Amino acid sequence: MSPTRLFQGGLVVIAAALAVYPVFGTGYGVRALLQLFMWIALAGSWNLISGLTGYVSFGHVAFFGIGAYTAAILITNAGWSWPLACIVAGVAACGLALLIGYPCLRLKGPYFAIAMLGLNEVLRALVSYFEGLTGGGSGLSLPTLQASVPIYYVMGVCAAAVTALTYVIITSRFGLRLMTIREDEVAAEAMGIDTARHKLYAFLLSAVGPGIVGGLAARDQGYIEPISVFPLATTITMIVMVLFGGKGTVWGPVLGAVVLFVSQEIVWARFPYVHQLLFGAIIVAVVLLMPRGVLGILQIKYRLPRTV
Amino acid sequence: MTAALEVDAVKKSFGGVTAVNGVSLRLEPGRIYGLIGPNGSGKTTLFNCVTGVERRDAGRILFQGERIDGLKPWQIAVKGVGRTFQVTRVFPELSALENLLVVTRGDRATAERRGRELLTFVKLEKLAGEYAGNLSYGQQKLVEFVRVLMRDPSLILLDEPAAGVNRTLLNDLLDAVRRLRDEGKTVLLVEHDMKVVMGLCEVVFVLDHGDKIAEGPPGVIQADERVIEAYFGR
Repeated sequence: MSPTRLFQGGLVVIAAALAVYPVFGTGYGVRALLQLFMWIALAGSWNLISGLTGYVSFGHVAFFGIGAYTAAILITNAGWSWPLACIVAGVAACGLALLIGYPCLRLKGPYFAIAMLGLNEVLRALVSYFEGLTGGGSGLSLPTLQASVPIYYVMGVCAAAVTALTYVIITSRFGLRLMTIREDEVAAEAMGIDTARHKLYAFLLSAVGPGIVGGLAARDQGYIEPISVFPLATTITMIVMVLFGGKGTVWGPVLGAVVLFVSQEIVWARFPYVHQLLFGAIIVAVVLLMPRGVLGILQIKYRLPRTV
Repeated sequence: MTAALEVDAVKKSFGGVTAVNGVSLRLEPGRIYGLIGPNGSGKTTLFNCVTGVERRDAGRILFQGERIDGLKPWQIAVKGVGRTFQVTRVFPELSALENLLVVTRGDRATAERRGRELLTFVKLEKLAGEYAGNLSYGQQKLVEFVRVLMRDPSLILLDEPAAGVNRTLLNDLLDAVRRLRDEGKTVLLVEHDMKVVMGLCEVVFVLDHGDKIAEGPPGVIQADERVIEAYFGR
């Protein structure tokens, strides 16, 4: 059996196991996997803009936060059903990306990263300020609803969809053009590539997933507040997951999310205080020892195809 | 006949330094032109103005009779102006073939076939899957050259195409440039290797300190006193 077939077979088995898991799994297990799916979707989305075009977004959690608030407000104040509210949350995140992507994507390197960081802080302040709509600093409680299992499935579909989208993009010439922006933006322009438009498309695509996932997380948690949905730590976690797994690859974000989330859960359970320290150590180790990440290194060493 | 490229009194300065000081050039279609001059004479800046990388301060630039100054670099490229860079700018973490594919649209199989043909032409077919960044400098120059051809431009600007390319390959490259000319394309090249310039170009423009100091066939240029002075001093 070829490695590709073996890999595809493995994927099918894993997907099937995850699909039936809620039937016999524990409540804790379902919640943990749900969160893992969320991280896969978030890391994969960050990879679409930052891993491919090299425009490092330090405020990607802004899309998660805007999604969470959009869905929570629609559910609480307008009485919408959560699936519909979460779709609109994705649209809202996309709208925000359009609004800020147009000016911010003209900025290069660290300036873009800082602008995105600032955007997140501004949004958090705005959400706190408009108390009437958002509940301000005291947060927003959603109507009680036991929906962990359906959210588990939808979250799983989101993770799969982001990964599939990444696969389609990376194996296409559109994806290669996004990479030319990372490699040499001046040369890309000289070759007739409309880099501004390409960056914006990548940015929009990278915002949808976090928006939807933010809505789902809000519904699942039942309560949100500005500091819980706009934390810088969430952006950092996305970045570390992608850097660890391999930026600009299809499976890197998935690998990074699985490894870091699982190790975090294990360490968290046993050594609650060491966990932050360990996470910091991983960041330093990854950046110093393997800036390309696990799959990035393998890709260089063994000439793996782009489908990895 | 409409000029392939018309540069009309173009000026460009950086801070207090005038890089190009009102230079005018006229390139007829289907010919090979050379642009020479000592270091810092404004050759690359002029290239950058024509391709939109730099915005000119004054003057007009017309491609096939249509103004292109003020357009974005990618728009100028799409109109049919291709260029290479003085220091190669391949996409290092894309394979040699992928470097060529990114500029194509439409059917991918056709594009890949064309890309492999061009790589074969510069004898890099075995390295099609190799990351461009792992190739030698000369090989990168060749990838950059054929990458320009992928779009089938009608005006090709080559910034020092001969630098770092070995002699045998260089002759193939020069033949390729002549063939492009025979197909009706216009070529403007910046080159320090005088043998290449004299053997290839039909008309040579000479820049010195941002001014055009001479223009004419290579033989005439070589004997021009102002040119000799610019290169060797009085």
